[in-house]
Amino acid sequence: MSTDSVITTRALTKRYRDVLAVDSLELDVRCGEIYGFLGRNGAGKTTTIRMLLGLIRPTSGEVRVLGQAVRDGDQRWLARVGFLVESASAYPNLTVRENLDVQRRLTGAAPGSVERAIDRLGLGAYADRVSGKLSLGNKQRLSLARALLHEPEVLLLDEPANGLDPAGIVEVRALLRELADERGVTVFMSSHILPEVAHLADRIGIIHEGRLIEEAGRDEFTARARAFVADSLTAEEREQALLTADLERYFLARTGTSEPGDAA
Amino acid sequence: MIFETVAITEFLKLHRARVHWFTLGALMMGPLGLALFMWIAMEPDRAATLGLLGTKAELTGIEATWASYSGFLVQIVGTGGMLLLAFIVAYVFGREYDEGTAKNLLALPVARHWFVLAKFIVAGAWWLAIVVAMLAEAVVIGLALGLPGFSATVVVQTVGNALLAAGISYLLVPVVAWITVWGRGFMAPLGFALGMLLLGNVFGSTGWAVWFPWSIVPLLVGSVGPAVSALPAGSYIVVALTFVAGVIGTIAQLRYADCAQ
Repeated sequence: MSTDSVITTRALTKRYRDVLAVDSLELDVRCGEIYGFLGRNGAGKTTTIRMLLGLIRPTSGEVRVLGQAVRDGDQRWLARVGFLVESASAYPNLTVRENLDVQRRLTGAAPGSVERAIDRLGLGAYADRVSGKLSLGNKQRLSLARALLHEPEVLLLDEPANGLDPAGIVEVRALLRELADERGVTVFMSSHILPEVAHLADRIGIIHEGRLIEEAGRDEFTARARAFVADSLTAEEREQALLTADLERYFLARTGTSEPGDAA
Repeated sequence: MIFETVAITEFLKLHRARVHWFTLGALMMGPLGLALFMWIAMEPDRAATLGLLGTKAELTGIEATWASYSGFLVQIVGTGGMLLLAFIVAYVFGREYDEGTAKNLLALPVARHWFVLAKFIVAGAWWLAIVVAMLAEAVVIGLALGLPGFSATVVVQTVGNALLAAGISYLLVPVVAWITVWGRGFMAPLGFALGMLLLGNVFGSTGWAVWFPWSIVPLLVGSVGPAVSALPAGSYIVVALTFVAGVIGTIAQLRYADCAQ
């Protein structure tokens, strides 16, 4: 196993009766990188993240996170991990602040961490609103705030852009980039949306029917994608793709959020 | 320290929830309904003017005395309460699945058995609080009705018997928690509790009553025949074993079963 790997899986397999959800998965996620785990619905992304967190037991194989073998009964290593699994969820009768306070107490984070997380995820206006009355996007922000609250070294994020509007996606993208670049946080994020992953990830792995079928750095991956597009898309399809990108940029500019280099 | 923190967060999670008021209201309806029947029994002419309700009160053959009132109160805690307590435990454990927070809870840097124990503490405190509130309400209502035979001894005996029934009911409820985390929701544990209440009453009429955990409370409170004055030691052992099996089963389910919520 690589010595600088923060997340390592070896021959990781999960079978549900006749369904092979994850098949002999080999991953090495390096310290401080953003790893995009790309796959269609049902490809095995969420099952993998659940196994990384010890929520489900592998049928066979090995998982190590931060050097710790997962599922040996000791959960203390999870204090160094932040996560978001599948749908955003919180106690609906508690406010945003109260939900985060519960998390703070259980992770042993400092009292000021709640307000920092609220500011970081732009939840100030909703801090005293019960989470059951939040929009889907703000519930997702709350879940991300919960994941970041205790300043984890590793983030395991399952579809982090779910429910966020384009501006929210850009904000979260910038936040994750900052965490990786400035604090050395390792981010393992799953998605079924290629542009989301391509904008952010340092390396990308594609999982299909439980197997890792491709893995490459972002530049190499982008080059492969461009070559594929040049070879296989018609001029009309290429024009359609460019139009989609232009429309998104225009929308972001009009709603006050744009990425560096975007047309204003 | 870890357990204390977990227990505090479990209490915090109930903040602003309305469900404890619902359970309190449900249990406090018992003495109110009982008082109505006592009030009718105190003056037989009232039965005639109250139609069906009066007829029903007459048919139950209730005596309007503190001794009778006390016996029925203990039955309310012992049988109705057993179902209500199952609801409380199903809520405390099942809400994590219903609200999608179980996965967040189980991937925290806290050993999972602390959550189980803290949730049992919360359910126990909740149960004790509503039983005490109901008993206080019942004493006030009994005094207001002016039932004959009031004495401090009767009150102490009533409270003692009710708390014993409440305590035994509590010892049976970890099995409900186990079924809740196994079934990941409310329906399975509530169905189980209802089934056990019915089975408990069926076994209560047989010689097996002292050995079947869910017959022991009905036997003690007299809802399946005359209340027994003392249970054999074997019954307490059965209840204790049921408690231990429920706690261990709940912890093992959370620790070893997949959380694919």
